Amino acid sequence: MKRILFVAFLFISLGAISQELFVFTEPASNMPGKSLGVRDMNAFMYEKDGKLNYHNMPELMWGINKKWMVHAQGFISNRQEGGFETEGGSLYAKYRFYSEDDIQSHFRMALYGRYSLNKADIHQQELETMGHNTGYEAGFIATKLLHKVAISSSLSYERALDNGEKYKFPTAESNSAMNYTLSVGKLMLPKVYKSFKQTNVNLMLELLGQRLNENRKSYLDIAPSIQFIINSQARVDIGYRQQVYSTMIRTAPNGMVLKFEYTFFNAFK
Amino acid sequence: MKKILLFSVILFAAIIANGQIIRAEVTAIGLTCSMCSKATYKQLASIPEVENVEPDLNNTAFILFFKNGSAVNINDIKGKVEEAGFAIGELLVVFNFKNQQAENNKTFTVDKTLYTFMDTKSSNLAGEVKVKVLDKGYVVEKEYKKLSKMIKQYPSYATVSKNSYHIKTL
Repeated sequence: MKRILFVAFLFISLGAISQELFVFTEPASNMPGKSLGVRDMNAFMYEKDGKLNYHNMPELMWGINKKWMVHAQGFISNRQEGGFETEGGSLYAKYRFYSEDDIQSHFRMALYGRYSLNKADIHQQELETMGHNTGYEAGFIATKLLHKVAISSSLSYERALDNGEKYKFPTAESNSAMNYTLSVGKLMLPKVYKSFKQTNVNLMLELLGQRLNENRKSYLDIAPSIQFIINSQARVDIGYRQQVYSTMIRTAPNGMVLKFEYTFFNAFK
Repeated sequence: MKKILLFSVILFAAIIANGQIIRAEVTAIGLTCSMCSKATYKQLASIPEVENVEPDLNNTAFILFFKNGSAVNINDIKGKVEEAGFAIGELLVVFNFKNQQAENNKTFTVDKTLYTFMDTKSSNLAGEVKVKVLDKGYVVEKEYKKLSKMIKQYPSYATVSKNSYHIKTL
């Protein structure tokens, strides 16, 4: 209870915080139609004994039109014995089905789905189709932008499958979960826009939770981050993910995330 | 032959009489950040008839300068803003009129597009004249609802077409 109060206090004290280019979650908004984005996510997650798990997740993103966008992502990690290995990949699609625009504000809703393949060993109760489990996820996102502040929330169903022939999903464990997120972001700089070249600084705070459907085990993480938008086209995100509580087995919940992203506008005619 | 000649003269006169669109000022809504503005800017700059775009980042507004003699369809502007992921909150268009009578419900045609005056004081327009586009998708939702109440006076306002627009002189 104290933890929940602490988190609530953090949100209130930050006042409602950037822009909606969140670090740990996707907003309901899409990238511009006919544009191409490249992203590289680096996660440095610490195991309890101090061992560092490094995950590299390069990603290609394509804004098909104003309603549809797709991502293709690869999962590389040093978590397995024998150093770096490509463990799998995923396809992600998002459909923005509702959009309401007003002066410097909007409200959007979107549906998304992800299908991932992974051949790594299954080592935790937590389900994560981004880089750990073969499986799929389907969810709903709602995002509200109010001038310099954006608030976004999502709810999704995640289902893990066998990680190939070698690593079957343990029958005694819950193979499905509900995920929920709440993200707030605020544009801190610049105070007044002069040109596209000004570096924008956004601060964000995100809550990431999961509840396993079959045994009701759950966790909640808090993830603050700072984001730099350079030349209105490139993004550098630095984030930290910290477990608030967990009743399930998780190998390496805490750590740093470093993300680079570049958008090619009008890449497709 | 005479008839054709006469018709050609009338047609030519009509073309001269009607102004060309030389500039447009579009305010995009649904965005704040410069990355969003840049996406919109890039989309607008990709319209073939556009020569130059001047952005105003604080107001998420863009001035489009059109190439001389190009046929502008303002539906393209809306399409591009939406492609970027946003919407139009206001669109002001600058016509270069030779001699145009402005009067409510009076129409004129430029580049196969019909324009109808609405909520406008009667006057004679010449030179650069700035008008506001009033149709759905070119004004904020609240304003559109207000304008919709004037449908009895302006019956054509009820139909939305990419070749017909309602304008108000400013």
